[in-house]
Amino acid sequence: MQFWAVIVDSFRESLDRKIFWVLIALSCLIALVMLSVGFTGDKISFFFGLWETETEFYSPVTQMGPTRLVGAVVYFFLAALLGWIGIVLIIIATAGMFPEMMRLGAIDVVLSKPISRARLFLYKYISGMVFVAVQGAFFVVLTFLVMGLRWGVWRPGYLLSVPLLVLLFSYIFCVSVYVGVKTRSTVAAILLSIGAWALFAVVHQAPQVFETFPSLKEHAAVYHTIRVISWIPPKTGDFDYLAARAAGVGTSLDVVPMPGTGEGGAMTELDRQQLAAARDVEERQLLKDPVASIGSSLLFEAVVVLMAMWSFVRRDY
Amino acid sequence: MEGLTEMTNWAVDLIDVRKTYGRTVEALRGVNIQVGRGEIFGLLGPNGAGKSTLVKIMMTVVRPTHALGTLLGRPLGHRGKLERTGYLPENHRFPHYLTGAQVLDYYGALGKVPRTRRRAKAKELLDRVWLTQWADTKVDKYSKGMLQRLGIAQALMNDPELIVLDEPTDGLDPVGRRDVRELLIELKNMGATVFLNSHMLSELEMVCDRVAILVQGLVARQGRLAQLTERAIEYRITAAKDLADAHSKLAVLGASVDGRTVRLAGDELGKVNEAIDILRERGIPIESVEPQRFSLEDILVEAMGDGAVAPAPIARPAKG
Repeated sequence: MQFWAVIVDSFRESLDRKIFWVLIALSCLIALVMLSVGFTGDKISFFFGLWETETEFYSPVTQMGPTRLVGAVVYFFLAALLGWIGIVLIIIATAGMFPEMMRLGAIDVVLSKPISRARLFLYKYISGMVFVAVQGAFFVVLTFLVMGLRWGVWRPGYLLSVPLLVLLFSYIFCVSVYVGVKTRSTVAAILLSIGAWALFAVVHQAPQVFETFPSLKEHAAVYHTIRVISWIPPKTGDFDYLAARAAGVGTSLDVVPMPGTGEGGAMTELDRQQLAAARDVEERQLLKDPVASIGSSLLFEAVVVLMAMWSFVRRDY
Repeated sequence: MEGLTEMTNWAVDLIDVRKTYGRTVEALRGVNIQVGRGEIFGLLGPNGAGKSTLVKIMMTVVRPTHALGTLLGRPLGHRGKLERTGYLPENHRFPHYLTGAQVLDYYGALGKVPRTRRRAKAKELLDRVWLTQWADTKVDKYSKGMLQRLGIAQALMNDPELIVLDEPTDGLDPVGRRDVRELLIELKNMGATVFLNSHMLSELEMVCDRVAILVQGLVARQGRLAQLTERAIEYRITAAKDLADAHSKLAVLGASVDGRTVRLAGDELGKVNEAIDILRERGIPIESVEPQRFSLEDILVEAMGDGAVAPAPIARPAKG
């Protein structure tokens, strides 16, 4: 009863925020854009048939077409728009949850109810996911239906993007909650959680810099230290690849036709080598063990959540 | 065992409650307060006396440095007993995105009130605090008085045995204040215990059975309102004619004379009788003799004037 009360309250809070409706509108706009794209044989039409051109690359009737189509949606709409801009907006929308609840006069009423502080904290934390779960489910199911009904491409694995989005958000939300509980400041929670997200990305990508430049690998001790450290923060950068893997699409390089630098856009030998090297890096990302990626990220999240909960439970209001 | 039995008879039995913020700020220095079941109890004191801290400790909002005692027969801080407790904090804030009905439903659910009961109770309470027409309006449209009435309704959602109200009439107009007083008496008649923290001394005087005065983190006075206020602050004798003849004699008693009125400070009946004798000896008719009793304000001012307050003994007033 208490759990649902907190969840329903958070949902009502979400509906009250303009950002919620901005994101819903953005999802609808993307779905509309996708809906305006149609295929007839090897032809692709845009804006409901206003403009038409030939394509073999994306045509659902070709062998690789459906995979490339879903890949384009995963990499450019899901990962780039919802996975970055959307998550930033959701962080802004949810960062005030704990500071608002902890305001004098508000927290007094809640703490006077027969619910332990630890339980209240956990319920509120889980309810913070409601926002991203609703937004993620709306976007993913909507685009899933458009791909299936409009293009005839059904990829059930794409639906796994919803829990993956919730996971991605939770990695950053835990920092937002920790800062919110410690400072009771929404602004601090927004700034520091976005800063932490950037830091996670930098730390996580640091070993790749060493791998890209072999001369750096001579500093073996530094390289191994960085590799170990890179396992500590959440693997937010893995989201694209986990979603792509779940949807059964290849690398981002596979979903966009790469023009060559040769005459008439032909691929040169150098182009092929660079493309192969870039693809190799992405393929290694795709082959990463999702359990290790998610598990180590959740471990970090659990530690931060426990620290925030401890602070929430022990303080006076 | 006898002590334990007695202990559980109190609705609130606070023993040696202490709270120190940081290492040096002693908000509470060993508070002992007892509230009988079915009483309306008033807590008063100057700003910074520790009243709100004490109330927050009772409601588990603040953790005490040291505390013994019980709330509704269970140790202080026992969460289960909060199911039977209602609380209205001072300057409360409700989520602005909720309507009045949703506020009651949300806090009722947190208070473990079953859903069907919540609906019926919310309707009844909104009606009781004259907010039925505003039930589906978001609370950010409410006036302060309306929010206060909603706050009181919120505190009553779980049919509490103990209701703790911090400045319940804050923001209410005179009619609203009167209604709150009537509600408190109604709750008392239904068997509930009411613990009031208020600056409105006149209102406490009107409804409280017992009061405690908190000064500098300690209970300076505690007892039945009638007991605390029964002492006379002065006696006023009104004569039927001018008292010029008796002036010098009355002055010897320490009385002050103003026209036809004699004032005798203190609570000594012997001096009053002596003054009456002086007037009678001179054939001066007496119209009235009135004791001027201590008001709650007088007691509060007196308690504050005591300077360094020593801990008051644990008062165990007779029940019933």
